[in-house]
Amino acid sequence: MSKKIIGIDLGTTNSCVAVMEGGKPKVIPTAEGRNLIPSVVELTKNLVGDLAKRQMVLNPETTIYSVKRIMGRRMGDKEIEKTQKMVPYKLVAGKDNIAAVEVAGKTYTPQEISAKILQKAKVDAESYLGEKVEEAVVTVPAYFDDSQRQATKQAGEIAGLKVSRIVNEPTAAALAFGMDQKKSGNIAVYDLGGGTFDISILEIGDGVFEVKATNGDTFLGGDDFDHKIIDWVVEAFQKEKGVDLSKDPQALQRVKEAAEKAKIELSSSEETDINLPFITQADGQPAHLTMKLTRSELEKLTDDLIQRTVSPVEACLKDAGLKAEDIDEVLLVGGQTRMPKIRQIVKDLFKKEPNKSVNPDEVVAIGAAVQGAVLTGEVKDVVLLDVTPLTLGIETMGQVRTTLIERNTTVPTKKSQTFSTAADNQTQVEIHVLQGERPMSADNKSLGRFVLDGIPPAPRGMPQVEVTFDIDSNGILNVSAKDKATGKEQKISIQNATNLTEEEVGKMKEDAEKHSKDDEEKKVRAQTKNKLDTTIFSAEKTLKDLKDKIKEDDKKKLEEEVKKAKEVLAKEGSNKDDWAKADESLGQILQSIGTAIYQQQQQADQAKATPKGGPIPKKEKAKKDSKTTAKKETEKAEEGEVVEE
Amino acid sequence: MTKKISKPKKSCPSCKILKEKLSRSLADYDNLLKRITTQKEQINKMATASLVDKLLGVLDDFDRAQDHLKDKGLRMAMSQFLSVLFSEGVEEIKALNQDFNPESMDCSDVKKGKKNLVLEVQQKGYTLNGQVIRPVKVVVGSG
Repeated sequence: MSKKIIGIDLGTTNSCVAVMEGGKPKVIPTAEGRNLIPSVVELTKNLVGDLAKRQMVLNPETTIYSVKRIMGRRMGDKEIEKTQKMVPYKLVAGKDNIAAVEVAGKTYTPQEISAKILQKAKVDAESYLGEKVEEAVVTVPAYFDDSQRQATKQAGEIAGLKVSRIVNEPTAAALAFGMDQKKSGNIAVYDLGGGTFDISILEIGDGVFEVKATNGDTFLGGDDFDHKIIDWVVEAFQKEKGVDLSKDPQALQRVKEAAEKAKIELSSSEETDINLPFITQADGQPAHLTMKLTRSELEKLTDDLIQRTVSPVEACLKDAGLKAEDIDEVLLVGGQTRMPKIRQIVKDLFKKEPNKSVNPDEVVAIGAAVQGAVLTGEVKDVVLLDVTPLTLGIETMGQVRTTLIERNTTVPTKKSQTFSTAADNQTQVEIHVLQGERPMSADNKSLGRFVLDGIPPAPRGMPQVEVTFDIDSNGILNVSAKDKATGKEQKISIQNATNLTEEEVGKMKEDAEKHSKDDEEKKVRAQTKNKLDTTIFSAEKTLKDLKDKIKEDDKKKLEEEVKKAKEVLAKEGSNKDDWAKADESLGQILQSIGTAIYQQQQQADQAKATPKGGPIPKKEKAKKDSKTTAKKETEKAEEGEVVEE
Repeated sequence: MTKKISKPKKSCPSCKILKEKLSRSLADYDNLLKRITTQKEQINKMATASLVDKLLGVLDDFDRAQDHLKDKGLRMAMSQFLSVLFSEGVEEIKALNQDFNPESMDCSDVKKGKKNLVLEVQQKGYTLNGQVIRPVKVVVGSG
């Protein structure tokens, strides 16, 4: 059996791992229980991810972050110079003047450092999957040149992972959005991550992606947005309280956390409070920070950052030789694209609503996992599990449809339910198979019917007929009915029970919605009628079975009431309220007779034996009564009808 | 005479694919079952984690208020609040005067002092049923 191929988004700030499971991509949580691995490595103690990040302040020279920025680049490269200004660790020239990192007198290549992250990804994936992971698909920015891709591949090898494919990040994103299903078209991927901004334009033809153009800003990301908020808070506090929070590292740390939280909150609400009590001391008194930040204020603060993404987008379109109107789909990647203003800008730029259906933090890793599954053949061979488009059931007493298999159930599936007869000495039942969403059988599509006969004569409700619906993977519905007493069985096979055109399904569902109120009334009507019928039946049974125990005048009263009820039931034009009223009054008489009989019985019992306990408490008697009526809540019917047990 | 039952000479390629597919699905399913069991246990344990995490932020503010006010009533209220958290499996991470350990600690600053020793706790950290829900923020000696 072939092993799984995991997908790894090896990011500048964070990395993410995903795998295809049962045809669906799933992000693998880290050992620390998070979905993202900070792309941070401590080299002397060999710490990776969250653990490395936590001790970054303590060991700044030995803790490496943003290593992706120097991957496969030569010393003297502009990007290398910029990175060196930003990071506290030392960059040196390695083999062939390729940039490397020097830590504690030892030189590490970016490959070795990235390998540590990939290794953690591997270990986490193995513990999640419970099996060895040997292969991975790793993503790189579209603008990575050959040596940078080669370096990424080597990093995988050092980590003990065969990199079966290097995939461009925008391509992975397009895969995650299911764009490979498209025949042809142009796709723009707007990726604003923690530390970098990339815009790519892809052309797709017959499932093959081609990167037409890329552009971006390697020093623009979500962190810059955080800093804008921090600066704003610090400045406002200085103005208000005259204290410079930037001088107090502990206070600044709290402001930093609150700023990120506020930014996230403002993606879903219009304003947020930043409350940091006891943030510092002012004139020997504790000072509290309370501020309100609105979404429009945040948009004003970060406007220059947002505008910085505009010209790369325009340049990218120009390079691709396309106009905004030529773009068929715009995909959003990176956590910062959750900001409403960014979505607005993207919409304005491309004159079309961007697609945001996949989690922007995880989309690249998910796409890599999809690619991995394509390579193992899992995706190509994926069994598209069918679902039943409409509810399947049978007709029961009073033309009510009783559901066996709900719509949207994944097939193959099998459901059984036991039914009974509706009349005394009923020897056959008819199974009428129905499809549709309406509660009354006549409004549904009839798929077929058959009769199970040879049921031994018995009082209504006694026989047990097990009805089984079984849909196999080819959509063939097998319905069988089996009398549990005799083992006699009848069945029917219905082809293509799941095979309906979309229009048919749509129409049937629409019908159901349109008639839902009407249908519900009809159903209640049928149920009320059935209930009265049942009560009459049990009243007659009581009269017959307990005729010696019922007082004469009670008997008369009951007989009269039964007669009246039967008239109501038979009378044309009587409505559900009439039935309910008749049912209630008959039920009351039945109950009082029942109670009287119980009391008689008790008195007789007490007379016979010295009672050990008191009389049966009233509550219990009531329970017994309701139990008997409930059990009798089966219905009388014409020959052949089925009753739900 | 015994009848010879002829066996198919070549195994059919589609059978092979189907077998492969079946074993893969079975394995996927089996693994899923196992994972669901462990995840269920995990969820049970960590169900309160997200709520507790939010409450911890409030507790920090109480701590800060108490540092300033030193009020007996507030202290009592806080200890009651804490005992509720403790009963849910929350434990405070001990850090002061211990060696720095990134498993449960987050170094936010350094200052002169014994190397790698935690000299100051800036924000308390907690575990929930043995798992770190918030690392303790510490100042560590730089040597």
